Amino acid sequence: MNLQAKFSLYNAITKIAVILVLGLIILLSIEKISYHHLDNRLTKKRLKVIANLNDNEIDNLLRAQHTFTDYNILKDEFIVLTAIPKTKQLDPSISFTTERREIEGDIEIYRILNDQFEYNNKRYKLELGETMTAMDAVKNTIRFYMLVVLVIALLVTLITDYAFTQFILRPFYKIIDQKLNKVNDPIAYDYENIPTTTTDFKFLDNSINALMRKISSLFSLEKQFIANVSHELLTPISILSGRLENILTAENLPIEHENKILASLKTLNRLKVIINSLLLISKVENEQYLKKDQVAIQHELSDLYEDLEDRIIDKKLTYTNNVKEDFVFTGNQALIHTLLINIINNAIKYNVVNGTINISDELSDNAYILKVEDTGIGMEKENIANAFNRFEREENNEKEDSFGLGLAIVNSIAKFHQLTIDIKSEKHKGTMVTIHFPL
Amino acid sequence: MNVLIVEDEKGLALEMDEFLSREGYIVEHAWKKASAEEKIFVNNYDFILLDLGLPDGDGFDVLKQLKNQKDRDDAVIILTARSAVDDRIKGLDGGADDYLAKPFSLNELLARMHAITRRKHKLEKNDVKIHDFVLDIQNRTVSFQEERVPLTKKEFEIFNYLVLNKNRVVSRISLTEHVWGDILEVNSDSNFVDVHVKNLRKKLTQCTKTDWFETVRSIGYRINY
Repeated sequence: MNLQAKFSLYNAITKIAVILVLGLIILLSIEKISYHHLDNRLTKKRLKVIANLNDNEIDNLLRAQHTFTDYNILKDEFIVLTAIPKTKQLDPSISFTTERREIEGDIEIYRILNDQFEYNNKRYKLELGETMTAMDAVKNTIRFYMLVVLVIALLVTLITDYAFTQFILRPFYKIIDQKLNKVNDPIAYDYENIPTTTTDFKFLDNSINALMRKISSLFSLEKQFIANVSHELLTPISILSGRLENILTAENLPIEHENKILASLKTLNRLKVIINSLLLISKVENEQYLKKDQVAIQHELSDLYEDLEDRIIDKKLTYTNNVKEDFVFTGNQALIHTLLINIINNAIKYNVVNGTINISDELSDNAYILKVEDTGIGMEKENIANAFNRFEREENNEKEDSFGLGLAIVNSIAKFHQLTIDIKSEKHKGTMVTIHFPL
Repeated sequence: MNVLIVEDEKGLALEMDEFLSREGYIVEHAWKKASAEEKIFVNNYDFILLDLGLPDGDGFDVLKQLKNQKDRDDAVIILTARSAVDDRIKGLDGGADDYLAKPFSLNELLARMHAITRRKHKLEKNDVKIHDFVLDIQNRTVSFQEERVPLTKKEFEIFNYLVLNKNRVVSRISLTEHVWGDILEVNSDSNFVDVHVKNLRKKLTQCTKTDWFETVRSIGYRINY
């Protein structure tokens, strides 16, 4: 759940809680207030009744029967006077009850004042009633409107909350997106602050900027170092090889010297290849390459076949390309080419004369899998794990022109592109290299 | 033809000078950006061999300055040990004719210069004669007494490169790099080039005697003329 949703949810829950509590208080207090009000009126009426009491009145009230009842037309008030025998103890206190009473066929709820008094040595019970129907109607109306208003208020505040948090958090998400997610190359980083008035986000923005400045200065230092190393090492090699080439053109150069010079050129070339390989690896590992090319694996394979054809023919290998899928991968075309050519070149180099190389592919749910199988000399199990290390060559490997960097290059290019490479090999039987391209 | 070498490494500049002078080029040097710009302003050159990392500035600036001058047809080859991928694109986009990464073989430099000359001057005589063979550079074919010799693409490249560097030993490494490009470790195993040379020689020998096509003691090849 993201921050915005969490904020909105929290706001909604607290609002509902507050509203429920408030609503409950309001409803209860309405009831209390209305009872209080009614009770006051009834008490006043009682005083009026008692004050106007006289024999006549009571006789009137009680004539013919033992109770007297009077209503007004609307039946919202009544008065009942009952004579009671003297047997019981007189209860002089006034009490209020809420009761259902049937009056001339209509049942209504009344608030009733109960009183007992003695008059002229006779005891009477007085009940004064006032209807509560109107009160209830008011209460229900209030309750209904309160509910409606509350629900509407809740919805409105929810929506405004959501919109507001979205507005407030927009700079935050923008910072996350532009300053963290979309950054590939710290050198090309945009230091412009994302506009916001929230100090916390300003702080975050500035902290990320400061961090990026540090990273990019380290990064450019590293780049500078690599550039310097390449310049400082490759230039002397260039001078030496130029010098040796010039010596070779001398007319009267003794044969044995010419041989030595050519051998020296070969050694220089070896040095050059090693430096360039290490530079390549370090540049790949420093992510100094872009990964924006659409690389068609089929196309790359047929491309590099042209480069390797001679070696394949030279070794009389049977080369079959069974690749069926038209898989296109986003990455660095030159690097993918280097990766494939190194793997297939190994399959040629360590193959036996008249051997075979079989390239096949397969598309699974989450990966495109390319397999390169050869019938070469294979590797011991314990050597497979080390094969990707720099300068790692199998012991007793007679090939003096291998520098042990081919698979290290393959490894760093694979990591750069998030490819996984598996090697299965059996000594004297062959090797199978599997490359998984994530989809 | 005159060449300006803009290179702060004197050792390398002198080797290029010696090599190119022997080929008949008239060579001048500039060690710094300032002097290079001065020389370019004053003179026209057929070739400017431009190093990118100069002590007082960037070689790209020299290139830009040259391109800002009107009616200049100087061919520029960028020579650099800077191995940034972008540099190559930047250089060629900036109007350089070619780009050669250090360390390079002087034979390769010469081959590139020949290629540019042919391209620039659209040589009417696009054919190179060697003994009784005629190389049609444009169509990449070889003929012997008007009859086409059936060479493969690679065989033609090898023959052409050896002819360009005639009377000089061309090592297998240099030959491999020229024909197959610079594929790092893959090319460390350069003996397979022999197969192509063997086939090439066989095809040439079927036409005439080729004792001028020399194998130099298992290290390289030389065509004498």
